[in-house]
Amino acid sequence: MNKPLSSTPSLLEFEVNGEPVQLLASPQDSLLDCLRDQLGLTGSKHGCDVGDCGACTVLLDGTPQLSCITLALEAKGTHLTTVEGLSQESTPHPVQAAFDEKVAAQCGYCTPGFVVALASLFETNPSATPEDVRRCLGSNICRCTGYTKIIEAAELARRRLQGLDT
Amino acid sequence: MLPLPPFELHQPVSTAQATALLSDLEKPRIISGGTDLLPSMKYGLFTPPHLVSTRRIESFSAISGTEEGLSIGAGATLSSVAAHPWVRRHYPTLATACSTVATPTIQEMGTLGGNVMLDTRCLWYNQSTFWRNALGGCLKCEGEICHVAPKGQGCYAVHSADTVVVLLLLNAELELASVRGTRRMPLESFYTDDGIHWASLEPGELLTRIVLPPPPRARLAFRKLRARGSIDYPLLLTAVRVDLDEHNQPSGGRVVLSALGPRPIEVSDVSESIAQSKHEEAAETAWSQAFPLPTHQWSTPWRKKMVRVEVGRALAELS
Amino acid sequence: MNPADSKKLDGLEKIQGRAQFTDDLTRPGMLHGAFHRSPHAHARILRIDVTAALAMHGVKAVLIGTDLPIAYGVLPVAQDEHALALDTVRFVGEEVAAVAATTREAALAAARAIVVEYEVLPAVLSVEDALAETAPIVHNERRKKTNILRKVRREYGEVDEGLERCEVVLEDTYYYPGSTHVPLETHTSLAEPDGHGRVVLHTSTQIPHHLHIALARVLQARLQDIRVIKPHVGAGYGGKSDPFATEICAAALALRTGRPVKFILDREEVFYAHRGRHPAHMRIKLGATSDGTLTTCDFSAHSPGGAYASYGVVTAYYFGVFLPLPYRLENLRFETSRLYTNHPPCGPKRGHGAIQPRFALEVQVDRLAEALGQRPDIFRLGNLAPPMSETCNGLRITSSAMGTCIEEATQASGFAGKHNQLPHGHGVGLATSAYMCGAAHPIHANALPQSSVCVSADRSGRVAIFSGTADIGQGSNHMLASLVSRTLGIPLRDCTVLEADTDLTPVDLGAYSSRVTFMAGNAALEASNKLCAVLLEAASTKLAMESEALVFQDGRIASATDPDCSLAFSEAIALAEQTHGTLTFTGSYTPPRIGSRFKRESVGPSPAYSFTAQVAEVEVDTQTGFVHVKRIWCAHDCGKAIHPGIVEGQIEGSVYMGVGEALLEEQSFHPSGLHRSPSILEYKIPTIHETPEIISILVEEGDPEGPLGAKEVGEGPQLPTVPAIANAIYDACGIRLTEAPFTPERVLKALEKLEKTG
Repeated sequence: MNKPLSSTPSLLEFEVNGEPVQLLASPQDSLLDCLRDQLGLTGSKHGCDVGDCGACTVLLDGTPQLSCITLALEAKGTHLTTVEGLSQESTPHPVQAAFDEKVAAQCGYCTPGFVVALASLFETNPSATPEDVRRCLGSNICRCTGYTKIIEAAELARRRLQGLDT
Repeated sequence: MLPLPPFELHQPVSTAQATALLSDLEKPRIISGGTDLLPSMKYGLFTPPHLVSTRRIESFSAISGTEEGLSIGAGATLSSVAAHPWVRRHYPTLATACSTVATPTIQEMGTLGGNVMLDTRCLWYNQSTFWRNALGGCLKCEGEICHVAPKGQGCYAVHSADTVVVLLLLNAELELASVRGTRRMPLESFYTDDGIHWASLEPGELLTRIVLPPPPRARLAFRKLRARGSIDYPLLLTAVRVDLDEHNQPSGGRVVLSALGPRPIEVSDVSESIAQSKHEEAAETAWSQAFPLPTHQWSTPWRKKMVRVEVGRALAELS
Repeated sequence: MNPADSKKLDGLEKIQGRAQFTDDLTRPGMLHGAFHRSPHAHARILRIDVTAALAMHGVKAVLIGTDLPIAYGVLPVAQDEHALALDTVRFVGEEVAAVAATTREAALAAARAIVVEYEVLPAVLSVEDALAETAPIVHNERRKKTNILRKVRREYGEVDEGLERCEVVLEDTYYYPGSTHVPLETHTSLAEPDGHGRVVLHTSTQIPHHLHIALARVLQARLQDIRVIKPHVGAGYGGKSDPFATEICAAALALRTGRPVKFILDREEVFYAHRGRHPAHMRIKLGATSDGTLTTCDFSAHSPGGAYASYGVVTAYYFGVFLPLPYRLENLRFETSRLYTNHPPCGPKRGHGAIQPRFALEVQVDRLAEALGQRPDIFRLGNLAPPMSETCNGLRITSSAMGTCIEEATQASGFAGKHNQLPHGHGVGLATSAYMCGAAHPIHANALPQSSVCVSADRSGRVAIFSGTADIGQGSNHMLASLVSRTLGIPLRDCTVLEADTDLTPVDLGAYSSRVTFMAGNAALEASNKLCAVLLEAASTKLAMESEALVFQDGRIASATDPDCSLAFSEAIALAEQTHGTLTFTGSYTPPRIGSRFKRESVGPSPAYSFTAQVAEVEVDTQTGFVHVKRIWCAHDCGKAIHPGIVEGQIEGSVYMGVGEALLEEQSFHPSGLHRSPSILEYKIPTIHETPEIISILVEEGDPEGPLGAKEVGEGPQLPTVPAIANAIYDACGIRLTEAPFTPERVLKALEKLEKTG
């Protein structure tokens, strides 16, 4: 007899981008797969699937987490924010606006992860320094941009959010 | 892309519930931040039928500092330890070490307990099921020979926990709980020379707290040698401690190294050299006691050379 | 530029996570694919047993090599691949069987349950292995029983005599390692059948057109019955320029099962799909006369290139043909080869075939300058081929701003004040290069256009641009929209680009060889100019003005002198439509017949070349051997920048990739042929912390044939990075590194050797 490929699903209730969500998840389901396959939130990406690249970064109760190596059921009762939840209505988050202005997305596959990680940094550390920004950006891999425009965008967003720039 | 093998997930809310589960379940494994365990499970290194999560045990994330010392719940995230005011004030080197683990995002997920319990690593082991099968497995997993030391007796997978070298210099103790009760164990006797059974943990035991005595009258330095400024596991970990007399003059010291073998090593016979500020001599002593093996992609002779450089630099930081 | 037009056309949708990549697509009833792969570097397949796999829950179909027996390959001259190994496996990780099942878990479990019996053969894992007299033959089915895929020998001028006349001749050997692309999106394909025998394949590719041809061949289907669509692609850098097993098996399994089938490679599998940089063992002899004139180059390069040809025939030529650029070499000889070995196949990675020789050449040029007592920049400036000239091997140079690039890069970096003058451990290095803007001769030799674009104007005022090329993140859609919108004087947002759908878009050969801006850009200009002409005619009649007096601007067609006298763009469309019917115009680009003294040379000629100069500033930790690249100044002759931000982005990305290859990256194999580090954790691509500050300098002197004067930027800027860093390391601490990457160990060894020999 073959080993079962999945174990019993159970109910997962949490809040995703401000809305209550209920779904069935198996213990071995990653949060990333739940978001993508069940909720259609495909902004978070599979880049490596083992926590090396940062393309799947989401915010769990405000802190960045790699959703590819987070069990979906561990998100029970949390407030989850994905890249799709950062924009207010159609207004991009300041980090997103800065990425757009600085042409910081090339292929765009890593971009949501960067945006989420930076949004979290500025939320949790309103007085973040350029050094803090660099450190934060070390969580994510980009293979297109040489990080140059990403740093420029992050710096623009930082200065705007800190009222240093308009 | 890479599915996890199936298992049952248990989410106890107290240590008692957790230890009861560990005692009752068949071959359970503990999951804390999951940043080491889940990639390993995706690679098929473990297929535990049960995972017991410590995320919902409130006391697990507590950090409290007093004149008596510091208590860190095993589930405290590395970022919360690094940011804790008491840690920053009295144990700043520990904060530094926490801030070098993998990436800032992983520090938000990974826990201090998880770092202490980090599985030993090896180029031949931390690979996918397909890869290991193509190789024929290794001693630590599905195979019969150790590719690092084919003529050796055991497994030489490498202890790679950044924070541990500092915790050792701070004389940390581990609090271990099981249905049989709670015990304390000095961290220095926790690790073994066996890359497979690398921890002195008894069946059903759970690491609940890391306990530190008041900070020593000493200066500490920590260095992590790695290929890249982020993401990477260490190629060499170096922690040094310069003990100070009442005039704040060096009176002795210790050097701990890791990422060389299954357990961190405390360099012997360096205290005198450190007391006399003979840093080159101390670095030479450390170098002569370090024996890296080809567990990493980066050259073994170079890693050995780096022991002298890194110990020298760590001591220089403190003078 | 209108500020709104400075944002990339598809920027916000990517930044907000709305952009759809192939893995973001799902279909009802979709099956998931998985591969069974070879654990051996070289083995004969004796038996494949799929019974257990087929019996497993959820498994719908299993394919093996004999189900897809027709060989294919991206080059017509090297059709040596099968999606699934036919009777022999030739590298560890080669696809042997493919499964389609209702879940990914079931597909993976079934793939593991497939039993394959092998007869293990000796493997060929080095140049020496490959050329040994008794060497096992990687492709025994070929007529020629050797492991040489292609050997190229050429001589232009008189090399031996040339060297004799030289005052200084320096000869050295160099090694450049293999490396791989690591696009963040792994290869992903979703095929869906239409129930009438047609199949639609959504896939992460750089070459929809060539893939279309390969699919028709392997599936024995009519081209009309296959539709290839490229959604957003999570980058390629050359790594998605071949037809892949994911694509062929997804399509075949969709036809077999009648259901949509998706394949997505694991990160590890991408290292086996590879098609990355060819490792190259090189020897170079370079000579200059006593007056400092670089005259002669004698070069050889041999590459253990992996199990299948991919673009390898072209690689063997690329190793040699670009060597004269950007200099005024009189004599060139090269002998190069691309060999078959039992590794994952190499292919085209950014700067294909030109990166490796450029490393050898530019370090050797630096050595020569030193031997002649000249500063490296002065020496180079004195030896440049002028614009509108021809190289000794017959390459036609049109525009060249090489001199300006060297001057700009050295001035910005303060090179003259730093070279040879910084404290020990600190140094600067210079290197230059040139790269093609597409190949003048297409892969499939024919007289057809290489690019075609269709521009269609709607009464609403919206303009649709149909192009078969592949935007893989480099911004080619923006380039097309920008050219068309500028020509028509309408906002960028009024243009829609429909790209890379073989049912809807005219053929374009794809995103490789740095061809897209030059070729598709020219095609787009031609189409929009035709549209302009009919709109002008209509406006001229309506406004009763000579068409020469009218301009397209701000969404109107207006008198150049009297802005009140104007017509809305949409009105002009309506008027023109009354006369001409629906306004759809096509443009196409066929490279000019580039005359060469050397008739048989089809590899190397390009309608234009970009030129680049780079200065690297490094700090070498002489105790650990770590090299810290602090800054790189890159002056690039891109002709004209259609969008400066996107051009800078290509420069920054190229330099970044060069830094990775200089310091960290290497495809490294276990003696059994097993890849040592198939993960992002262990295959070390640079993080932000290893990436230098990159200062891009756009040199815009224009090209006579480029669209609005533009030339390539996607690949050329990577060429000088590695030698610039090598030359900077020499300036910092006196060691000449001839093997990349410049790891701490190599640096320390060289320093120790220097200390011993003095």
